[in-house]
Amino acid sequence: MKFNSDEIASVLQAEIEQFDSKIEVREVGTVLEVGDGIARVYGLFGVMAGEMVEFPNGATGLAFNLEENSVGVIILGDYLTIREGDEVKALGTLLSVPVGEEVIGRVLDPLGNPLDGKGPVQSELTRPVEVIAAGVAERQPVTEPMQTGIKAIDAMTPIGRGQRELIIGDRKTGKTSIAIDAILNQKGKGVKCFYVAIGQKDSAVASVVDVLERHGAMEYTTVVAAGASSPAPLQYVAPYAGTAMAEHFMFNGGHALIVYDDLSKQATAYRQMSLLMRRPPGREAYPGDVFYCHSRLLERSSKLSEELGGGSLTSLPIIETLEGEVSAYIPTNVISITDGQIYVQPDLFFAGVRPAMNAGISVSRVGGAAQTKAMKKVAGGLRLQLAAFRALEAFAQLGTDLEPETQRDLDRGYRMVELLKQPQYQPMSVNEQVISLYAGTKGFLDDIDVKSVRHFEAGLLQFVHDKYTSLLQKMDQENALSDEIVEGIEKAIKDYKSTYKPVESAV
Amino acid sequence: MSQSASPPTVLDIEAEQLGKIYARALLGAAQAAGSTESVLEELGEICDRGLRGHPELLAAFASPRVDMTEKSRIIDRLFGDASPVLVQLMKVMARRGRLGYLAAVRTSAVEQYDEFAGRVVAEVRTAVPLDDVLRTELTNQLAQKLGRTVRLREVVDERLIGGMVVRVGDTVFDSSVASRLDKLGRAAKAGFAHQLLTHSERFSSAT
Repeated sequence: MKFNSDEIASVLQAEIEQFDSKIEVREVGTVLEVGDGIARVYGLFGVMAGEMVEFPNGATGLAFNLEENSVGVIILGDYLTIREGDEVKALGTLLSVPVGEEVIGRVLDPLGNPLDGKGPVQSELTRPVEVIAAGVAERQPVTEPMQTGIKAIDAMTPIGRGQRELIIGDRKTGKTSIAIDAILNQKGKGVKCFYVAIGQKDSAVASVVDVLERHGAMEYTTVVAAGASSPAPLQYVAPYAGTAMAEHFMFNGGHALIVYDDLSKQATAYRQMSLLMRRPPGREAYPGDVFYCHSRLLERSSKLSEELGGGSLTSLPIIETLEGEVSAYIPTNVISITDGQIYVQPDLFFAGVRPAMNAGISVSRVGGAAQTKAMKKVAGGLRLQLAAFRALEAFAQLGTDLEPETQRDLDRGYRMVELLKQPQYQPMSVNEQVISLYAGTKGFLDDIDVKSVRHFEAGLLQFVHDKYTSLLQKMDQENALSDEIVEGIEKAIKDYKSTYKPVESAV
Repeated sequence: MSQSASPPTVLDIEAEQLGKIYARALLGAAQAAGSTESVLEELGEICDRGLRGHPELLAAFASPRVDMTEKSRIIDRLFGDASPVLVQLMKVMARRGRLGYLAAVRTSAVEQYDEFAGRVVAEVRTAVPLDDVLRTELTNQLAQKLGRTVRLREVVDERLIGGMVVRVGDTVFDSSVASRLDKLGRAAKAGFAHQLLTHSERFSSAT
């Protein structure tokens, strides 16, 4: 390949001709001290809180603390080459990021700079990072489902478009996997997805991007990454930046899903900045406004009214707990802000129940209205049944003789737990979920060996796809369990069962 | 009256506060005596020539181990011929153990007097020294724009290449060649990157 130097020269010439030089008027200050990602600046007397400033090395900053004699600036970028006495320029605008279709499929830093080597984002549109959420009149209740493709979640803690559902649990319990599955399941549903990685290992972010790419999910997903090596200010800004990009779709009548992975690290970054800025520490040394830091962020997820286009932004914040301690400061804050939580537990995870959701304490406060009628019918009461099963199971461990009725409940419970297990990165459609759960709750699995339940389920779904495509089509059209469909499902299950041969346990 | 070219980079809030208070008192006393201008000039002289040139004098003034009567004696001996208001101020400051803040008092006093007299200081950076014609024109233009008497502080900075940068308070008017070249460079780079991404086929011939 040869480069055409004439063309290059002509483009540059056009740029130079178009350039109009005006006298630049700017407000400036002087760096008094700099360190730990923070600069104290003398001057800048007209600067607004949250206004962008620029350092001579090209790094942008954010006026964070306006004090009597100086301005505390957080530096979003390289702070190692900024020196005492440097001139700081106020840019007169609030921090904003590029938005629009161009950001889709990209891996960006919180300022909208590319991290994927595909060149700058070519978008004309920008949006301020910090905006106040839509008000009461601009919203409507959550009614549309946001399918995660995970049976346990869609059945027991359904999520609606515009909802904030917290995923909370200890490290290594599959929190991110749930969120990734939810993103993978949006394929072909017109939902734009945003994955905001805050304070994560860069290797973990790279593997998430890899998974998304392999499953073709990067076509509708943006990754905003502020890894563990990014300065605290960038980690603090990342969720707001991601939300600004997602809001663009919401306000244009589209639907978006955003995952904040995870907000405990963002709170830690905010704590670091606040302490360095000498704001007084409160509980667990977090600043007084750490609640507002999360509430104003999550409040921006909403379902807009029809007049505003009816767009929605669903968020899945993730919080990592230490040793299951949900009563720590940040977990309680975020639990109280969100519309429900999915609680994942290590003991379930290691017992092989994956997703390791604890059905007893996981809730969804608004999602019920957003479930499809069919799902509501098969899954209603499932959560309570499962919780009752857990209690019964604990009792049965005492070794007492059980009445046959109790034993039957127990057996059903074991099979339901087995049925709700689902491998990673294999989201299921609503119809598949409904058929599976129908088989389980109506007792069609009672005579199947517990170990074979998952094998039976896989076979059943394959069988339905092969032989009962008309049934699936009808379920798509009606979205409710009419008698006809129930009949169809039962017939399919019986048909399959008559031909089903349990696998010989190889071990 | 010459001042340091670069703005101060050390913010001593205590010094600034004290300086403001003593400066207000000094200006009040000097005005009553009717000799504000000369007092400020003498104070500037003492700070620039006396204190900056002799760090050991500054150290003696600031040190709590040199007692008050000794400081008074030094003041009388060195600055005995200064205006009585100034000598009094220094003695009061010595008595209160604040003599080390004399430079801060001077800075504040100059600022407050400028404010009172409706004057502003404009820092002018140019690549070559200003000539008299340009100087008067600039002073008049700025005075007209700002509605105040303008005092110029001239700095020669070859890095600007050409044009000038005027700084009034925290506002900078920049028409230097260096910054315009810098902006042009950035605009061309961004525009070129845009073209490259949108019509990449234009720039290469497949041979």
